[in-house]
Amino acid sequence: MAGKYYNLDNMLKPKSVAIIGASQSPEKVGHIIMQNYLNVGYSGEIYPVNVSSTGTILGKKSYKSVLDVKKPIDLAVIAIPAKFVADALEECGKAKVKSVIIVSSGFSEVGDSELQEKLVSIAKKYSLPVLGPNCLGVMDLRSRVDTMFLPTFKIDKPSIGGVSFASQSGAVGSTVLDLISHENFGLSKFISYGNAAVIDEADILNYLGHDPDTKVIIFYIEGVKRGKEFIEVAREVTKLKPVIIIKGGITPAGSSAAHSHTASLAGSYQAYEAVFEQFGFIQAKSLDEMLYYAKIFEAQPLTTKKRVAVITNGGGVGVLAADSLYLNGLEMATLSKESEKILRKAMPPIVNMSMPMDMAGDADDKRFGTAIDVFSKDPNVDALMIISLFQTPGADSRVASTIIKYGTESEKPIVVVSPGGNYAEVHNNMMESSGVPVYPSPEDASKALAALIKYSEYRERHSKSG
Amino acid sequence: MGSLMDYMEAYALLNKYGIKALRASYVSSASEAIKFSNGKKIVMKLISDKALHKSKSGLVKLNLSSESEIASAYNALAKLGENLKPYKILVQEQVSNGTEIIVGGNTDVQFGKLILLGLGGIYVEVFKDVSIRVCPITEYDASEMINTLKSKQIMLQDPRNEKIVKGLLLKVSELLTKNPEVQELDLNPIILHDGTYDAVDLRLMKG
Repeated sequence: MAGKYYNLDNMLKPKSVAIIGASQSPEKVGHIIMQNYLNVGYSGEIYPVNVSSTGTILGKKSYKSVLDVKKPIDLAVIAIPAKFVADALEECGKAKVKSVIIVSSGFSEVGDSELQEKLVSIAKKYSLPVLGPNCLGVMDLRSRVDTMFLPTFKIDKPSIGGVSFASQSGAVGSTVLDLISHENFGLSKFISYGNAAVIDEADILNYLGHDPDTKVIIFYIEGVKRGKEFIEVAREVTKLKPVIIIKGGITPAGSSAAHSHTASLAGSYQAYEAVFEQFGFIQAKSLDEMLYYAKIFEAQPLTTKKRVAVITNGGGVGVLAADSLYLNGLEMATLSKESEKILRKAMPPIVNMSMPMDMAGDADDKRFGTAIDVFSKDPNVDALMIISLFQTPGADSRVASTIIKYGTESEKPIVVVSPGGNYAEVHNNMMESSGVPVYPSPEDASKALAALIKYSEYRERHSKSG
Repeated sequence: MGSLMDYMEAYALLNKYGIKALRASYVSSASEAIKFSNGKKIVMKLISDKALHKSKSGLVKLNLSSESEIASAYNALAKLGENLKPYKILVQEQVSNGTEIIVGGNTDVQFGKLILLGLGGIYVEVFKDVSIRVCPITEYDASEMINTLKSKQIMLQDPRNEKIVKGLLLKVSELLTKNPEVQELDLNPIILHDGTYDAVDLRLMKG
C-alpha cells in the first residue's frame, strides 16, 4: 500500500531536526523540546529556529527561519503560537523539509477549522507529511528522538521493547507512557497525533503495521478520519501483528434523524465496535485492560487452544481463578496420567492431583519448578496460570526466578497472578522485566489469556483463507 | 434526510436479491382487497409517510378472511387515512406463527453500510441484543453475527433457521453494498417458520 499512506520514517528516524520555536527561556515549549533532544542523546543535527533569535540557543547556532539553515532537514518540529504556524509550515515546504510535527494547539480542537484547513492545503501543496497539530509528537527510543514537551523528570520513560503506542490524545498518551514503564514492558515508538489534519489513523496504523521494530500496537482513538482506508489497512495489519485498540468518546446510540430501529441501534459507537470485532482488533475497554493485553502479547506465544492449568500456593485465589477462566470462555485443563504420576511423587500428600492445583502455603521454588515443568510438557495443557502469593512462607525470590526461567522458555503462554504490596511488587517487577506478564487478579489474567486466544484464532482463520 | 421507498418498489428490489417478502399489493377498494384474499387470511396496512410506527397507531388490521371483515377493515383504514394523506392501503398474506427476527441496515458516516441482526420483540427493544457488521460481510461474519447473539438459542429453536438467517444476511449485505442509495433498511419482522421465512414488513429509506 505504498504511496497511498504516509511513510513516517523521516519523522521517527531523522538525521537532522529543526526546532521552530526553540528558545533560551526554560518555560517555553520549544525550550523543553530542544532540551529533551539533548537529554536523550540524539545523535543527529539539531537546528534551533527562532524569528527573534541571535547567536545560540542551548549552545547550538540558531536561525531566524528554516530557509536559512540551507542543509537537509528530515524533521521540523513547530512549537509556536497558532497564528504563526501556517507561515512556518510554508517555509518548511520551501526549504524542502521532509516531515513536520506541529505541536502547537489552537486549531480545529478549539473550533478554528479554517486555520487548520490552511495547514492541510500547504501540506498538500508540498506533499509534506505533517503530524498534528495539537499533539505531543513522537518518541522513538531506538533512534533517541523525543519531540515531547514534557520535562523528562516528570515522566518515567519505558525501556526499549516491541510495543508501539499511538494516541489521539496527548494527555492519555503521556499518562500511558508513564504507566507502561510501571508495567515493565518495552516501548518501540510513541506517536501522539492530535487533530490528525494530514497524517491520520490509517497512515499511522499502516506505518506501525510494517515497522519491523514494532511487535504489538496499542492505539487510543476518539474517531477515525478515513473509515474505509482505516479498514483497508486494518485488514492487512491485524494479520501481521496484534493491534490493541481503545475508543474514547461513546456516542449515544440513536439520533433524532433515525427513521428505523436499525438506525437507532446501529449508531456510531456500534459501528466502531463492529469494525474492531470484524477486522481482528483486540478491543480494550479501559486503559488498564489495554496495558494488561499489551503485556501478554509482547512476551507470550499465541495459542488457539483453551485448556489452562492453574497452580497456586493459596486455595481461595485458585477458586477465583477457576471462576474467572470459566467466565471468560476458557477451560480448566485436566492432568494427563503421566503428569499425575510425576507430581504425586514430587508433592506432599496434602496436595490434591486436581485443578486448580493447590500446592499449599509452604510451596517453595522446587514445588513451583516441578509443577511448571510438568505442565509445560503435558499435552493436555495449552496455557499456564501461576498464582504466586508472595505473602506465604514458602514464596521468595527463588520462586520468582523459577517462574522467570519457565516463563521465558515455555512454548505455551504463561501468566502470573501476584497481588500484593511492596514485597510482592519487587518480585513482580523482576518477572515482568524478564517478559513474564504479572496480573493483580485472576480476572485480569483470564481476560488477557482470553484476548490472546481470540486473536490467535483470528490469525489462524486468516492464515488458512489467505 | 431520506425518503421512504415505496412498498412495492422495495418488494421488487428485495426480490432481485433473492429476499422473499410476503405477497402484497396496493388496493384502492374493499373489493380489490377481497379479490386479493381469495378466501385466505390477509393483513391490511395503511401506509403513509406520516405514520412510521404502524402497529403502535392501530394502522394494521390482522386476521382478515371473510368478505365482511375485509370490507370493514378497509373502510376503517380509509377513514383514518383522511388525516394522513397521502396514503395507500396495502394488503398482504398473513403468515403462520414463527420466530420473529430483525435484519437491518444503516449507513455510518465513517465506515459505510452496516448490517444488523436481532431477535424480534423485547430482545431487540429492551435487551438491545443485536449484532452488527460492516458490509460486505463474509460467510464467517454471518455465522458470527448469529453466534454472538445472546438469544441465539431461541432464534435457532428450529435448526433449519441457521442456514436461512445466514443466507438472508449475505443477501441483505449484497443489496446494501450494491445499492448505496439505500441509506437505512428495516426488515422487521422477518418470520422464520416451517423451514422457510417471510419478510413481513419492509422499510427502506433512500438517501
